[in-house]
Amino acid sequence: MGIFSIWSSAFVVSLATLIAIVSSHPEGLAGILDALGRATGIVGLLMLLLAAALSARVPGFDRWFGGLTRLWKTHHRLGAGSLVLLLLHPVLLSLAQAESGLDAAVQLLFPPLSDWPIWAGWAGLLLMMVFLAPSFSFFGHPDYRRWKLLHRLAGPAVIFALMHAWQYGRTLPANVDKWLWTVMAAMAVGAVAWRFVFSRRIGRLRYRVARVVAVANNLVELVLEPAGRRRLEYDAGQFVYMAPFDRELAAGHGEEHPYTLSSSPDEKNLRIAIKDLGDASRAIQTIRPGTRVTIEGPYGRFFPDREADGEHGKQLWIAGGIGITPFLGRARWISGRQRRCDVRLVYCVQDEARARFLEELNAISETLEGFQVIPHFFYRQGPLDAGFLVTHVPDLVEREAFVCGPPGLNTLAKRLLIGVGVGRKRIHTEEFELL
Amino acid sequence: MKKFVYTLFIAFWASVGTLVLVNMLVPDAAEQAPQRVQEPTETARYSLSEVTKHATLEDCWMVIEGTVYDVSDYVPRHPAPPSVLEPWCGREATEGMRTKGEDSDHSARAWRMLERYRVGGLEPSRRD
Repeated sequence: MGIFSIWSSAFVVSLATLIAIVSSHPEGLAGILDALGRATGIVGLLMLLLAAALSARVPGFDRWFGGLTRLWKTHHRLGAGSLVLLLLHPVLLSLAQAESGLDAAVQLLFPPLSDWPIWAGWAGLLLMMVFLAPSFSFFGHPDYRRWKLLHRLAGPAVIFALMHAWQYGRTLPANVDKWLWTVMAAMAVGAVAWRFVFSRRIGRLRYRVARVVAVANNLVELVLEPAGRRRLEYDAGQFVYMAPFDRELAAGHGEEHPYTLSSSPDEKNLRIAIKDLGDASRAIQTIRPGTRVTIEGPYGRFFPDREADGEHGKQLWIAGGIGITPFLGRARWISGRQRRCDVRLVYCVQDEARARFLEELNAISETLEGFQVIPHFFYRQGPLDAGFLVTHVPDLVEREAFVCGPPGLNTLAKRLLIGVGVGRKRIHTEEFELL
Repeated sequence: MKKFVYTLFIAFWASVGTLVLVNMLVPDAAEQAPQRVQEPTETARYSLSEVTKHATLEDCWMVIEGTVYDVSDYVPRHPAPPSVLEPWCGREATEGMRTKGEDSDHSARAWRMLERYRVGGLEPSRRD
């Protein structure tokens, strides 16, 4: 619903802009280019402000958008749309001026310094190019840390863009124009203020590393105990942003990263399984007990709300590699409560040695009625196929499907499930790639 | 999507670069451009009553700070809707130019652009 309202608002403003432009009867090619130039400016800025508003990451808020992963995707698409439109905006307006001479076209882009609103527009656009360059891999795959730092330039970029729009925004009726940008600016500034000021003070919970369990040579499970007054309340399978504070870590001191909770919400402590996938998660493999961490969340809506009370319908879980973590948390929770369930877990891994937590999951399946684990080994059985799924889960089409793994597996599993007749709406996926 | 955004990013700089370069290479364009606009003649002077004859959007003259402008060609490209400009056609419009109907002046660029539409000076009013 949230995502629908975001795109609807972009559509309504685009429509209003179109009506305002058509009613001004643009004449000739120059008139049309000028109208398009103004329209791209308005809709581009709107998309930039919507993207900024979505960046707040207020815990719970993401549920309206089908979870934080989907919300990030919308944020990413809005950012792309906004950059595309705002790159077209000055070029179209400049071409429209070429009717009065080439110098007029260049003058529009590069006026004297006293014409500050144009330069504010330039400042905003250049900052956008800088902070969005890593998001769209302009210069190769981005480094997570540099990407996060550069993304902070979005704040000043938004301010410059608003200064520019405030001066030139006369396409829409004056009242509409004023209200639109006031409301949108308030939302964007509110979101940024939450992100950089309030979330640090009230959104982050203090925890301490109580134990570090080495599950494999490239995978640890951290057990975190509360170090402050407040404890995290969450549903099994949700994720958090965690930042460790240990200057001796090789990388990632004070840097937040998203991790799935592998513990049951009924446990006193939090558990987070972290695989060595990058600099920061590699450094965490050597984190010491006693290290202070902050936790922000919970986020995600992998399992629908109605599941929170423990009533389980027939479900199929498909996990790939470290994508087992939300299912592990879920299985531990159901098992802890000894709830009746009807779950088939297809666990796809390369080989036996990489089937992390399989022993524990097998132990759960022995004591928990209706819970069955079906391992799938790539080296022996090849890629997951429909035959394997139908053989091991004959009543597949009657089940709600949940898939979590690397993007390749998610796409494959979705295709297979649709192929055997599982409705699209009954397939839920969670991806780890946030970029 | 990444490729598309990157392509547009390159296309943007290519377009801006081409515009600037061509403008530098063709100096005539810069000199000729103002000639397309009605050249103000030193002697052209219009009375306010003459200006009032041009009070429609299709034929719109305005008096701004003692100078007469024919902005008819610019009306369709003005950022504000024509209805905002119409009341100022055929009359003294300094207030509209200086305040935009609120309290903010037009930009320096807008003032420079206005000069292209200059047709002459305003004849001092006479007491008949």
